Amino acid sequence: MKWFINSMLGYWVLLLVISLGAAAIIYEVWLKGRV
Amino acid sequence: MFDFAIAGVQAPFFLLVLVGLTVGIVGGFIGVGGGYMVTPALIVFGFPGYMASGIDMTHICGKGLVSTVRHRQLGNIDWTLALSMIAGTMLGVELGIRLLVYFKNLGISGVVLLMTSVALMFTLFLYTQFETRRAHKKMAEMEKAGEKLGRELQTSNLPKFFQTIPLAPIIRCRAARVIVSMWVIVLVGMVTGVLAGFLGVGGGFVRVPALVYVVGASTHIAVGTDLVEIVISGAYGALRHSIEGNVDMMAVLFMIAGAMFGAQVGSIATSYVRGPAIRYILSYSLILATLGAALRLTYVLTGQSVEWLSLTAVVLTLGEMIFLCLFISSLVWFAVRRRGGKWVPDWVAPLVI
Repeated sequence: MKWFINSMLGYWVLLLVISLGAAAIIYEVWLKGRV
Repeated sequence: MFDFAIAGVQAPFFLLVLVGLTVGIVGGFIGVGGGYMVTPALIVFGFPGYMASGIDMTHICGKGLVSTVRHRQLGNIDWTLALSMIAGTMLGVELGIRLLVYFKNLGISGVVLLMTSVALMFTLFLYTQFETRRAHKKMAEMEKAGEKLGRELQTSNLPKFFQTIPLAPIIRCRAARVIVSMWVIVLVGMVTGVLAGFLGVGGGFVRVPALVYVVGASTHIAVGTDLVEIVISGAYGALRHSIEGNVDMMAVLFMIAGAMFGAQVGSIATSYVRGPAIRYILSYSLILATLGAALRLTYVLTGQSVEWLSLTAVVLTLGEMIFLCLFISSLVWFAVRRRGGKWVPDWVAPLVI
């Protein structure tokens, strides 16, 4: 877990996973079937 | 849901405010208009392509103005550099549009546009990553050795080469602390203008690296100066699109409402970080946009039959905006913690002030 904060690559991966997860939720809730 | 009568679309208005906010933060921070993110996002929300482009351009003009005012207050604009560049930029944009029309007549504009975007953004990503990592490493070593760190450090030798070209008139850009031939600046404006006109974007993602790596301006000055160019080209684009009836002002107003706040936050955030941090964010933005464009290209080349490619491109476009906002916000948060004497990860220390 520490690797996600102490390494720049780890932090990059952590934020990317959170962001893509949030984007997938937005897609699922509001955009599915409309695009 | 809000009924955008002119565009003929019903869409949740808060999503437009959110897009304006996120692109405002990113644009104010790395000095881009964000056209490469906004247009696909609006198409995703159901706006027709021409309307997405018009709304995008009009909102960029308004948002760019807010960011420019803030960057001027922060002393991040070199007016000599900006005004010298405008002539080249306008000429370049016109040439770029003519080039686009040529490919449009051949019937291959879509594929050529996407291929050029992918190749250009990926090359810029590789160069900025390579150079910024070198600068980051050097700054970390300097900090360990107890040396005083400046706001900027870049390791590229390209600016030295371009600054020694002896073509008159040689001009002094005081804020950027650069003495260079005016023709170099005009040429940079023209080349970046051609790409902007051809790709149909503001061109910040090309102009900022060009100002840093060719002219030799610091990243903060490059960001502020580029925003001046974006306001001017955005105003021209907004006027043209309005005449053509491509603008739904209600959509623009919702986006500007978010962008007004986001642009202020993004611009102020630059005063918490050193140059390489801005170049890192620019670099990340480029690779994510490259992936999105590559997915769209594959979708087009496969005859628009593989649905998951389109879906992934949509999620990636939205994810990119969220990712960049989170990264910028967390860098500011780390900078505030560091100023308060609290712990921050080792890799962050050389990047924040």
